Order: sequence, then C-alpha cells, then structure tokens
Amino acid sequence: MWEEGEDSVILLCLTASSGVPLYCRSRGGSVKQQLPFSVIGSLNGVHMFGSNLDVMLTAACTENTRVVWKVFHNSITLIVLSSDEGTSDFSLGKLLENVFSAMVLVLGLEELVNTRNVERLKKDLKACYKLIDSFLEPSKCSADLTQCVECAVMPSRAILQECLEAFASAAESRFGSLLTGGHVLCATEQWWQLAAQEAMLLMWLVRTLPPHTSRDLPVYLPHGSPTVPHRFLTFQLVPGLEVVLLCGPSPSLQFLADELVKQFWQPLLDLLKASARASPRCLLPSTSLAPGILGVLLINQDQRKSLFTVQPHGTWAEGSEMPLKNRLCALRSFYALVISLYFPSEKSEGTTVPLQEEFQAGFSHHPQHCYVVSATHKAYAVQGRRHQLFLLLKPDVPTFALRSLATSTLQALTTEDSAI
Amino acid sequence: MARAVPASPFESPRESPPEDRDERGDSNSTGSGGSGSCSASLSGSSDDFEPEWLESVQKNGELFYLELSEDEEEVIFQDSSLDVPVVNHVRFCENEPEIIHGRSRKQNEHRLEKLTKILKNKNIVSKQSIKKKATGKCDVHASGPASILKNRSSQKMGVVVQQRYKDVCVYINPKRQSNAETGEQLKLLESLIGIAHQSPWRKAEKHRHSIESRSAEEEKIVVHGLIPGSSAIRSGEILIGDILLAVNDVDVNPENIERVLSCIPGPMQVKLTFETSVFELEGTSQRRCKPTQSSMNNLLKLLWKDHNNDPQFSIQSIPHIIMYLSLKLDSDTSKDEQEILYQYPISEASQKMKSVRGIFLTLCDILENVTGARIISSSMFLYEKLIHVAYWKESDKLLVIGLPAESVPLSQLRNMTADVVRTLIFMYGSLDSAFCQIENVSQMDHFFCLFFQQALQPARLHSNVNPGSPHYDACSALFFYNFPGVRWLSLPQEIKMEIDTALSDLEAADFAELSEDYYNMRRLYTILGSCLFYKGYLISNHLPKEDLTDIALYSRHYCLLPLAAEQRIGQLVIWREVFPQHHLQSCKTSYDGYREPKARYFLLMVGLKHFVLSVLLEAGGCSSKAIGNPGPDCIYVDQVKATILQLDGIDLSIDERLESPSAPLVSCVDWFLPSSRDSLAALPLFSKLQNTSNSRISPASKKMVFGDSTLRTHKTSPLWGSGRSDNVDDNPEGGRGNVNPYAAQSKSPGGFDRSSSLFKITKKKNILPGPFNLGSLKKNPSDMESELYNVMKLTSGPENTLFHYISLETMHGIFITPTHTEVAQLSGTIHPQLIKNFHRCCLSIRSIFQQTMLRENKKTASIRSLESKKANSGLHQVREHGVLFECSPDTWIDQKKPPPPIMYWVVGRLFLDPKPREFYVCFHDSVAEVAVELAFKLSFGLAL
Repeated sequence: MWEEGEDSVILLCLTASSGVPLYCRSRGGSVKQQLPFSVIGSLNGVHMFGSNLDVMLTAACTENTRVVWKVFHNSITLIVLSSDEGTSDFSLGKLLENVFSAMVLVLGLEELVNTRNVERLKKDLKACYKLIDSFLEPSKCSADLTQCVECAVMPSRAILQECLEAFASAAESRFGSLLTGGHVLCATEQWWQLAAQEAMLLMWLVRTLPPHTSRDLPVYLPHGSPTVPHRFLTFQLVPGLEVVLLCGPSPSLQFLADELVKQFWQPLLDLLKASARASPRCLLPSTSLAPGILGVLLINQDQRKSLFTVQPHGTWAEGSEMPLKNRLCALRSFYALVISLYFPSEKSEGTTVPLQEEFQAGFSHHPQHCYVVSATHKAYAVQGRRHQLFLLLKPDVPTFALRSLATSTLQALTTEDSAI
Repeated sequence: MARAVPASPFESPRESPPEDRDERGDSNSTGSGGSGSCSASLSGSSDDFEPEWLESVQKNGELFYLELSEDEEEVIFQDSSLDVPVVNHVRFCENEPEIIHGRSRKQNEHRLEKLTKILKNKNIVSKQSIKKKATGKCDVHASGPASILKNRSSQKMGVVVQQRYKDVCVYINPKRQSNAETGEQLKLLESLIGIAHQSPWRKAEKHRHSIESRSAEEEKIVVHGLIPGSSAIRSGEILIGDILLAVNDVDVNPENIERVLSCIPGPMQVKLTFETSVFELEGTSQRRCKPTQSSMNNLLKLLWKDHNNDPQFSIQSIPHIIMYLSLKLDSDTSKDEQEILYQYPISEASQKMKSVRGIFLTLCDILENVTGARIISSSMFLYEKLIHVAYWKESDKLLVIGLPAESVPLSQLRNMTADVVRTLIFMYGSLDSAFCQIENVSQMDHFFCLFFQQALQPARLHSNVNPGSPHYDACSALFFYNFPGVRWLSLPQEIKMEIDTALSDLEAADFAELSEDYYNMRRLYTILGSCLFYKGYLISNHLPKEDLTDIALYSRHYCLLPLAAEQRIGQLVIWREVFPQHHLQSCKTSYDGYREPKARYFLLMVGLKHFVLSVLLEAGGCSSKAIGNPGPDCIYVDQVKATILQLDGIDLSIDERLESPSAPLVSCVDWFLPSSRDSLAALPLFSKLQNTSNSRISPASKKMVFGDSTLRTHKTSPLWGSGRSDNVDDNPEGGRGNVNPYAAQSKSPGGFDRSSSLFKITKKKNILPGPFNLGSLKKNPSDMESELYNVMKLTSGPENTLFHYISLETMHGIFITPTHTEVAQLSGTIHPQLIKNFHRCCLSIRSIFQQTMLRENKKTASIRSLESKKANSGLHQVREHGVLFECSPDTWIDQKKPPPPIMYWVVGRLFLDPKPREFYVCFHDSVAEVAVELAFKLSFGLAL
C-alpha cells in the first residue's frame, strides 16, 4: 500500500465527537494515496477509545513511518502519517498546529468548534486545501517549523519603513507589512505585536494564493480574534513585492488600490524594484559570510523574527556543494534535532503539559552550543542571550573551526543590522 | 490469574531441596572428593561436605545460589531483624549428628533427612512443609514444642500468647570459636551464641523418659547469663531468665542442644525461639516489628526478596507495565483476558495501561498493514504523564513495555526492550517459552521486578556502598544498562598473561576429572569459552562477542556485576541452560566446511569475593549429549572455582591498577573554578586560555597550544607505528592549501598550518593500519600497552582538561571509562553533576548514532539489491555530535559577583570503519580543538 521510496505525508481530519472524516490530504495534493476508510476509522478509533479511558494517544512510530494524533478544542482531530526520513515528532507536531491554525484563519474558530452541519463544514474546508497542502509539501523555508516570521534585510529599509507607516495610517490600519518572496522586508510596529504564528500564517497565505494585483480576504486571527474576521488586503506593488494590511470595514479596496497605493508607493518604484530582485539571499550586500557556510538560520527569540537562507552567497550555481533541496532539509532537521533535544524551546502559553518528551529537562547544565558532523555537511548551533543561530556548513570546514566561525557569524549578523 | 501461583522467588537459597534431583550429579560429587578440598576451604564449609548449593538446585537443573561473605553478612544481620531473609543454608539433623564425621558416601541418605532450611517466605506452602518435616522427623519431640510452631504459624492467636514467645535472630559463626576448647560439650551454647546455662545435675540424671513432660523446669534451657561480646548480648533481645525453646524451629532441650548447634556448618543466621517470663516485652516486640533501618543493600534485598511485600520500593504509583499479548483471538476458550499471556506488575497505575491494551493491539495491526513495517513505539498521556510504549512483535505475539518518559527517554526504551528480548531469548530460547510456561511465571515476575527497579529507580540499587562514587554508579546505571558492551579494565601484560593462561587451562579441560581419560567416558561438556570479571570490570574474555554480550546482559540484569564490586560474594554459583543465538542460529545457516553442532548450551557462573567467572558449556557436539535437565556438575563448578582460587593473589595487583590513576588522566571540573585560582594562576598560559574562553583564543596562546600538541604527536607517534610520524612532515603543503580560506578567520596562519597538518593526519588515520587492524582484543596486548601507561594526559596544555570519557568498542563488546576509584578520587561538587550530564548527553548522541547505523545498514542492503539510492540518503549520516554546556556552581561564596560559568564540551564520535566504534569525551572549553582531534586519535590506544 505504501509506495516505496517516496516520502509520503498523509493528513487526516475528522470531527472529534462523531469521527466523521472531514478531509484527507496527502503530499502532492492528489488522492492517489487515499487511505481506505477502514484505516482512517481505526486510526481515529484507537485514539477515541483511549480518550474515553483518559488515555491520550499522541504518537506512534514504525520502522518507516511516524504517526501523530492531536485533538484541537475537543472538536477536530488531526492525524498525520509521514514516512519522510527527515521528519520528527517535533516537526509533525508543528505541522498539525499549523494546519489547524490555517483552518481557523480561513473559517474561524466558531464554525470549527460548534459544527452544526458537517456537510457544510466539509464544503467550507475546501477553501483551506491550498493552504494546508502547502504545509505538507517539502518546505522552502523554515517559518512553519520555527513559528517565526522570516525577514529579509535591505539596505534601504528605513525609507521603506517610513513609507509603510504612512501608508498604513492613511489606510486606517495599524498592521501593515511589506513582503517579498515570503520574507518580511519591513512592517509596522503593531505588526510585530501579532502572535508570531499569525504573522507567519498571513505570509504563508499570501504565498499560496494565485498572483493578483490586489486582494481583499476575510481572515480570523487564531490567537488575536479567532471568532471575529478582519479584512486582509494585499496589493502587488511590483512583481514579487506586495504590501499587506489588516483593516477594519473601511476603507474600501477600490479606494486603497486606486488612490493610496499610487500616492505612497509610486515615488519609490525604483527602490521597490531593486528590493524585489535581491530576495533569495535575504542579507545585506555588505555582509559577507565565510565561504564554507551553506545555510543560515538566525532567530531573535524576543521578537520571534528569523533570518533564513540557504543561499548565503547569492544565487546558487549548478555544481556547487549540496543541492538546495538537501540544504533545506538538512538545516530544518538540524533545527528540529537541537530544539527537541538541547535548546529550550519557546514556552507556549496555553498548554501546561508538554506534548513531546522534554529531553532537555534531564540536563543539569545548560547546553550552549551544539554541532553535528555528517557525511554530507556539518552543522553548528549557538544559543546566545537573545538569539539562536543555526549554521549549515560544507563538510570540508574543519570541525575545530566551526565554533569561531559560528560566533563571529552571529556577531556579524546581530551587530551590523538592528532589524534582527 | 497468574497470581494464583505463589510468588516463590526463584533465587533458590530458600527453596526446599528437590528430592528427585537426578543422581548423576551426585555420583560426580562424591567422586570429586579430592578436588573438592579447595572449594570447601574457600566456601567456608567444613571439608568433605557436599557443596552448599547442591540443595538449591531446582528440578529443571537451574541454580541461582548466592551467599554473602562473612563480614557482610554479619553487618547486615546485626542491623536487621526478622524480615531479613536468611541466606545461608543450614541442615539440622539431630538424629544423626555424626553427619559431620560421616563420609561423603553417606550423604545421599542424610540429605533426604535434613530437617529444616530456614524459609522466611510468607507463603504457606513452604511453611507447612517445614512444619510437616519438623514434626515428622523429630518424632522424639513431636508433642511438646509443636505448640510453639502452632503459635507462630497461626497469626490469629491472642496477643498475650504471642508475646510469651519471641524469636531472636543471631548471627553465629562456628569457625570463630574453633580455637576454643572443644572438649567440654556444653561450651557450644556459650561459645557460639553466648548463652550461659548452668545445669549442674544434668549429667547425673537420666532424662530420657521425661522429654514430653513440660512441667519439669530443669528440662528447659534457661538463660542464666550472657557472655559479653557474644551474639546473644549484641542482639539485645535475649534476657536473663528467658527459656530457649527452639533453634530454627527445631525444639531443643539441654539434652540435644549441643548436637543441634554442632550441626551448624558455617557462618549463618540462626533463629532462636525463647519463652519469656517477663511481660514488658511489648515494647521490645514493637520495636522489632517496625521496619528497621537496615543498612542492607537494596540490591540484595531485591535479589532475594519477594518484591511485592516490600513497601520500600514505592514505584507502584508510577505507571509502568510489561505485557505479552497474543494477536490471535481464540473465541472458543472462555478464559477471561485470554489475550494477555503475561503481565507485570499488578498495580492501579498499570491497570490503566492494561485496560487500553486494545490500543496496542490495534495499532500494531493497522500500522503494519498501512506502512508495511513493524511498529516500534507509541506515546500516550496517562495521569498527566507522558508514557512511552515500546513494542516487540514476534510472529503472532506482541511484547509491550511501557515506561514514563521522564524516567526513560524513548530511544533508551527501545534499546531496553531489545535488550530484554535478547536476555529472555538467551535464558529461555524464545519469548514464547519464557512467557507461556506456567512454571516460569514467578521467574518472570522477578525478572521484570528487577527490570523496572533498574529503569525507574536506578539510584536505589546502587546506593551507599562506595562513599565516593555512589553518584557515579547511579547516574550511569541507566545509561550503561543497555550499552552494548562491558566495562573493560586493561591490565599490565604480565597479569593479563597469567589470567589468560589460567582461563586457557580451564578451557582446555584436559586434566584431572575434566579429561576424558579419567573416567574413560565422554566428557559431559565442552567449554566453549570463559570470561572473567573483577569488581564488575571485565578483565579477560575468551568468548565471541555475541556470547559475551549475552552473558553481560544477563549478569547486568541480575545486578551481579555491581554486587561483585562491593565485596559481597561469599559464593555465587549460577547454572542454567541458555540459548546463545550466536550458536543456535548459525546452526541453521551452515557455512561450508563448518557447522555448529546440534547441541545444548549451559551457562555456569561462579563468583568468589570480587571475581565472577562465567563459562559457556556445550553439551552435544564432541561431548556427550545432555539428557533431561542436568543440574550443575560439581566437577565443573569446582574446577571453575579452582581457577578463581588460582588467581587469588592477583587481585592485589588488579586493585593496584584500579587505584592508580590510569591513562588517560581525568580531572575534576571543580578545579577549574576560580576559587582554586591559586593553582591556575601559576600557569599563565592557562589563565589566558580561560579568559578568552568566550571569544577566540588569542593567536599567541593558540600557537603555543598547537606547538605543544604537535610535539605530543611526535612523542606519542611510536604508538601508531613509524609510518604515522612521517605524515606530519609529508603533509604541510596539502594542509596549507586546504586551510587557506579560514586563515582570514583565524588570524593565526602559523598555528593553523600546524593544526591543519594534524587535521590531515586524523583524516588519514582511517587509511593507515591502526593497532586495531593488526590484532584482536585479547591476542595482542603487545608493548603498546606499557607505552600507553606513560601517556598520562590526553589533552595538551599545562592543565589537564579532560573530565570524562567512554570508549565503546562495538566490535569487541567492551567499553572503557574511568574507574570508580578514579572518579571517587576526584570528588568535587559539580563533578557528579557533570558526569550525570555527560551520561544524559551520551544518551542523545548515541540515539543519533544508532539512527545513522540503522540507515547505513539499510543503505548497504539496498545497494546489494541494486535499488536506486535516494539522493539525500547521506543527509542523516551523523558521524560526530558535540554539545557545549555551561554550568555555574550552586554554592558561591562571593555574593557580589555572579559565579563565573564553566564551559565544557561533550562530544561523541562514531567510527564506522573498520568496525563500528563509538567514543565519547567530556573536556573543558579551553581545550584547543586540535587537541580534541588528538584525543579521538588516542581512543585507538585506549582499548587493547
């Protein structure tokens, strides 16, 4: 039944009370690996049986597959089966959280929790498929894992910031942000007050939507306002660069698109074009990283911002070390490893009981640095006072040079630019 | 349902002798009279006695006999009272007191007439059997003292009556008084127990007729006085005026007391029953009844006692379970819970897990159907606790072990489960035969009681004996529980030689009764190999790795190795049939030219003092076939014992080796606190290193460090053969080219040049023939060993910065780590924490390595089947993993400043070529990274 050699991820969604399957998605979005209902039913039944006896089943693992169960608000059960080699309980747990938040984002918590008509819910959920499927795909960024907004650093950030603030206030919105290729170029002060997961999801939403010059969508913020929708407005300024706003009922999209966008952004057109071009690197042109570095993930823990790139030296050329896909995969799994074993993870507010094994609780001393040497790469992690840095390096960098390299990189990235 | 079987612990010292033991062993035992002398002198029994353990042999031939050494026993028994299990065996035979002088020929008859063995079991069966025997055999005293026994056995008797009789346990040692004049008969009562009894007219009168008349005062042994310093006075419970009624439930009177006492063969605990005329006893008996704060090792308690009665082990509230479930449903049988073939323990917390067994069964079935692979584990929340459950599926049966995540991480649990399965298969042949046979239930209970104790409360088992290093044991216990290796102690060559010779002699089995010529018949067993442990360290091994691992797992599970480490073994004899898969499986897949014989295998372990010698025997093949369930053969036990005795003098030099700081030296983390700055300040280089520990090391000091380490390489290069040292000179060109990109970072090109050349060497190391490729573990101690002892320090620089290390040789099934004494000598306050942390970190590192090896195996398998390899298969091949920890002292005197943090690394490295090998080190932050490379290199020299 399982196709050999193919990393497959299957996501099941059921109502927790009645066990009615709401949808089943799998990697690639197709239904070629549709599980028979008997399997879906038993996977859910096992979990339901346990919860009747106060035993909450959370995860299972076979030689090639991991399964994770999670119930949200006692109404929606999500089950994921993954045979991806690089996956872990940590990343699957994050995946389920993201998927549920995505459902709330689109439909609102009310409709999910108090389901009156299951058939209607099923129909409504179709609107989320695109967003959900994007979480199942091998990710091109790290935001889903880190739950941090990915930022890009630009030399002319101050000008853009100023313009954005003015534009947002003119649009009677406090939440505005300038996005390029899934990264935040700059955002208003209030935007950073959003829960990190919300900001991440909004960006994710923009990325998965088909390209349009402007959009006006109702969104529910999973943490901020799960029951009352807000208007989410996006405007494409130049190809690859969009400005997004969260507003109330006014002003109208028409007004904004016709009047304000032109008024505020027209003068900066050249700068915007330049910014849109430089996107994959996310770093200041002046920042030069050591040649051995293949990927960088820098997390500001206070502000929940991150800087992520696997092309630190500009565009990736054919024939260089490690394909991008592998770099992404390696850096992501290294992050998951370090966070689940050593570094203190962010404290989630609501849940008191940790759902995963807390391995780091057993340490009497605090892990500060960590590295891994593998056949194809090396990786190094630093826990700073406010930052966490994860580096992916070429295998020919000597192991003893890793530490000095990492500390100097952290210093270079944090001091030169205050954005992170 | 299984509970119906009385939980009679299988550790058979307390078990009654099987009457129908096969007689072949006996005939051998009589034949071994000559060689038995050495064993007898050692075991402390009087000469010509049959071995003490003989009675403990069970019907199926198995034996687990453990006897403490005298000193230990006395200490334990002094502090504890009734609830202490009696360890020694005693045979009272008042009808035939001449048994002492009797020849061994007669023993067979006498053995059947043995009256009592002390059984402290609460279980009725054994009690009844004692009673029956007591009344049956001592027909002379049948009526009188029977009342005592009745009182004791029926707990519902009135309180007043109960108090009139008291049991006092004293420890006596007949050998202690051997110098005392033996001419006077009555002296035994005084010299052994310390009770003075005066009966001036005893000899004059004949009392043969009046035994049954209890009214006659003079018939009774009244305590007239207590001998100072004797066991009686030390017990504090025997009062003047008390009347001694029975010894070990055998009724005594002035007539027979001496004969009874003279039957005590060796040091042991004796229960004396007194009738007391004083009624103030209440307080005393109360005191006696409360659980005493015995210094008795929990480990021993666990090995001996029925765990269920013990309130001290309060793990009942922790949810944990083992279940053996059947996946086949047989709806015809009407038995309740028929799918549960075995379950342990029965507690409320585990009851919950039992009730959700449907989850386990369903998951196992569904996930296998969906994914086509076996289920490994699952996690669940229960009582707000995360519980991991590990699965082991074999045909249509499922073994499930559940433990809380806070005690046992998941990766650890998987390993533990695999080890449990391996041990059970080694002991019983298959899981089915282990779990499904009703007579094994109590053994299984004990097995898993030990298992859970070790998993949930490792600290309990390794308590208090070694004052310096209790922590070391406790924190490493869990980690080492499933380490695929045994703690190895490398010894100087001459000692090693002596041990190896002794073992080889034994294994050759071509002398005395072991040789076939002696009896002119086929020998019973072929000795496949042996391994010798000293204080829990493996010091010599003549077994294949697989067998060694099996035996190590077995002895680790039964805590035999820590036991031997604490001067506790008076005599240990273990005998059982085993099923080493290494031999049995290769039976099926025959290589050309050689086939393993169709044979049965037996494990014989003999322990004396600190030594434990394990021997693997083969019956069948070129020796005669084993029939039925043969018990331990006296000849073999004696010869193994004799081998240990032969090595008796050696323990001094081994101890010396254990005490002396070995190579490589480790240091204590506390020394790096500035409070001990005076010692460090004298070393300018080091203080410099420490100051710059957070940033980069200054070029100058770096250079010095590198220079130093380069020097060291030259110094130690003889270790690696002559080819190695040439390399240093050969490589600078390549090294420089390689490192140039980083020169900008390092700003110390000179230093890096050298370092890079060193780095090159390490990279080359795998190609060069290391000492490991040349010789195997035991055959090639060579002269490297003595040289290694001269390399006292692994790290460079004036301070030794190595804190701890483990070198695991998966190929040989051994690992090397600093000895207990070494760690104890270091003491310090943070150091124990550091070691604990180190072991925890090793757990995570090792779990990552295990995944790597798993994938490696998969890869080779897929290459073999010419499947297309996945592009990113190399992504998870972790070879090295390190974590930097920061710690600050808990108690800091200077309140103005925050305590300075100490940083240290824990690094693990996995070598796959030529054979899997793992090495873990813990060292101070200030170590130059090149020195780390060096340390890894030296790991080759660690194991010899």
